[in-house]
Amino acid sequence: MSEFFHQYFDFHYMGEHFWEVLEAFLQNLLIFAVVAVLALTWGLILALLRQLPGKKFMPVRFFTIGYIDLFRAIPILIVILLISGGIPFLEFIPKDIRIPHWLGKPDPFWYGVAALMLVYGAFTAEVYRAGIEAVPGGQMEAARSLGMSHWQAMRHVVVPQAVTLIPAPMLNEMISLLKDSTLVSVIAFAESVLISRELLAQSFNSSALMLTGAFFILIILPLARVVDRLIARNQGRITRGSHIEVA
Amino acid sequence: MAAEPMVKLEAIRKSFGQLEVLKGVDIEIAKGEVVCVLGPSGSGKSTLLRCVNLLEPPEEGDIFIEGNDICKGPGSGSGEQSWRLDFVRQRVGIVFQQFNLFPHKTALENVTLAQEKVLGRSRQEAREKATELLERVGLGDKVDQYPERLSGGQQQRVAIARALAMDPQVMLFDEVTSALDPELVKEVLDTMRELAEEGMTMIVVTHELGFAGEVADRVIFMDGGVIVEEGPPAEVLENPREDRTKQFLGLVLDR
Amino acid sequence: MRKTRLTTLFAVFLLALAVLVVAGCGGGSSSNSEESTAGGGGGEPLSVGSDIPYPPFEQGKPGNYTGFDIELIEAIGERVGRKPEVQDTSFETIFRDVAQGKFDAVISAATITEEREQAVDFSNPYYLSEQAVLVKEGSDVKTLKDLEGKTVAAQQGTTGLELAKEELGGSEIRPYPEGPDAVNALKAGTVEGVVIDAPVAANAVEKSGGIEIAEKVPTEESYGIAVAQGDTELLEEINKGLKEVEDDGTYKKIYEKWFHLEPPKAIFTETHEAE
Repeated sequence: MSEFFHQYFDFHYMGEHFWEVLEAFLQNLLIFAVVAVLALTWGLILALLRQLPGKKFMPVRFFTIGYIDLFRAIPILIVILLISGGIPFLEFIPKDIRIPHWLGKPDPFWYGVAALMLVYGAFTAEVYRAGIEAVPGGQMEAARSLGMSHWQAMRHVVVPQAVTLIPAPMLNEMISLLKDSTLVSVIAFAESVLISRELLAQSFNSSALMLTGAFFILIILPLARVVDRLIARNQGRITRGSHIEVA
Repeated sequence: MAAEPMVKLEAIRKSFGQLEVLKGVDIEIAKGEVVCVLGPSGSGKSTLLRCVNLLEPPEEGDIFIEGNDICKGPGSGSGEQSWRLDFVRQRVGIVFQQFNLFPHKTALENVTLAQEKVLGRSRQEAREKATELLERVGLGDKVDQYPERLSGGQQQRVAIARALAMDPQVMLFDEVTSALDPELVKEVLDTMRELAEEGMTMIVVTHELGFAGEVADRVIFMDGGVIVEEGPPAEVLENPREDRTKQFLGLVLDR
Repeated sequence: MRKTRLTTLFAVFLLALAVLVVAGCGGGSSSNSEESTAGGGGGEPLSVGSDIPYPPFEQGKPGNYTGFDIELIEAIGERVGRKPEVQDTSFETIFRDVAQGKFDAVISAATITEEREQAVDFSNPYYLSEQAVLVKEGSDVKTLKDLEGKTVAAQQGTTGLELAKEELGGSEIRPYPEGPDAVNALKAGTVEGVVIDAPVAANAVEKSGGIEIAEKVPTEESYGIAVAQGDTELLEEINKGLKEVEDDGTYKKIYEKWFHLEPPKAIFTETHEAE
């Protein structure tokens, strides 16, 4: 039993390597921050493209839906490995872009960011879509009947309402994203999981991994609670704010 | 009077997938006329109404507003693009059964939004007009309230004001009292009655036979996607010719 | 009516899928048993852990592993009357795993080091190794030191990685989970050098074009077979089997097959005291 604690809860070991692991964890947070901004934007673009009405925009809708389906279906790990294992060989792309070393971050960082952005763009697009579709169809009808164009209706009537329904599921996606930042370890980027496995190989002790896990839990648990509260509040709104009321 | 009818629908056909809902409907409505459309559910009366403002563009047939053909021509394909949407929607206002007020905007803002964005009126102008209209429907003291704080009847009256703010030539009412509690129905009908007395051209789909009898110039009875009978209310409601009409009225009145 | 038809169709599909999967598994294990025609019948099987792939020491698919290490442990197993069952496992946990009894033994091009001996016991050396610096053909990197300040790849948990970290303080060292991943990074051009076991490097150069060995760094490393600390009985058995294999010429045969070279004389006399 004491061997169990020694393997996972060697506090002395955790203390020795605390800053090392924490510094690596900050890399996870960095990946998360960069991808979050990119994916939230990209996802919104995708969601709006998907909404374009009319026959002439059908190819746009078709490709957007295809993109979203593809990146919802393919495991993130595969995307990361394909990008890092394939892009460098595409000689027609200039080297600075093919093997990026931007802002002091090495290429595995950027491959990871690219992969996560492609996938999470699809996920966030679906959250936006759910929000937009949750807005009753009558809203769009009323707006259009008053003479507003599709875009005017979206901008002034539909999207402002969709926006209140989005935070809870979006926050869930962001939590997933933070956890998935660890996948970049597989292409040798020095984030917390990689470092912990290095330490494990050197010392045969898993406590560093446990410490890493603790960091993630510390940050994510409060966020998960926020999500729960947002969802409860929305439920309340839906049941209370029914538009058919007696004076 | 050889004036052009305000609204003319010719040979309108509309299907939803396999189901044909309108099987060739012809209507002419004169300026200032109030027409009530009755019929059982599934008769196509709501669809017909929504054809007039192109929420459900017909597959076949023609629509004329103030003598203008609003179909862009047979060669331009089906769907929204082949109709003159803007032209229609700026002349035809509609009030829905479910009100469809914008919940994130106050009553006043509901009425000013389209004025500013579509008609390009200044904020000042729009507000003045909105205030005037809301007072007219009896809600002058509720201008800054959000829809969730208004009763159903009040919301519906805001919806009417919202449609009127666009200065339409024709007003469509799609079963606007069906979702209201009985004690709230009267205030809405009163507003509609006033509107009719002021000379608005109105097409009203409704179950309120009393209203139809008192206010309508003409009553149309629809069933199975076609017009079965039409005429002055006194005739259709009290002395219907067709059996189907008699059946329907019998059922409604028996309640 | 339609709904039930759909559900039955779906159930049939799942059933068919399950049958295929089971058949597939069955196929795998039958080829497994084919391999076991050689080797001792008497004793209980020897569970062996190895990080696959790491050519030319271990490579191949489950049930069909091959390589220098694999053939060697099979030869040893035959001598001591125990059939080895090789299982793929990740290198960075391999010593902990055998220490905890997940395997009986580990043969995985594993260098005998003091650190590792804190957890496991090693057999006599069965291979003398050195590290190599792999670079792209025509690169101007000629020695390990030339990689100073450049991006270098190695495999997680290996002595190659240690060497790189020790000697190249100013370089960015990237630890990949598998050896071949590091080599691929070199070919892709995302790293400029790889520090890895010399025979693995030679194999990589042979099998794929465009890379070459810049320098071999003699490190007096030797590989051993690892067993759990204190498992002296098994260790003696393995050492005995190894000696027999060396003496009767089988070792030379396997060595020449995989390295196209004669084995160095030293290997036959090197011994190792378990600590």
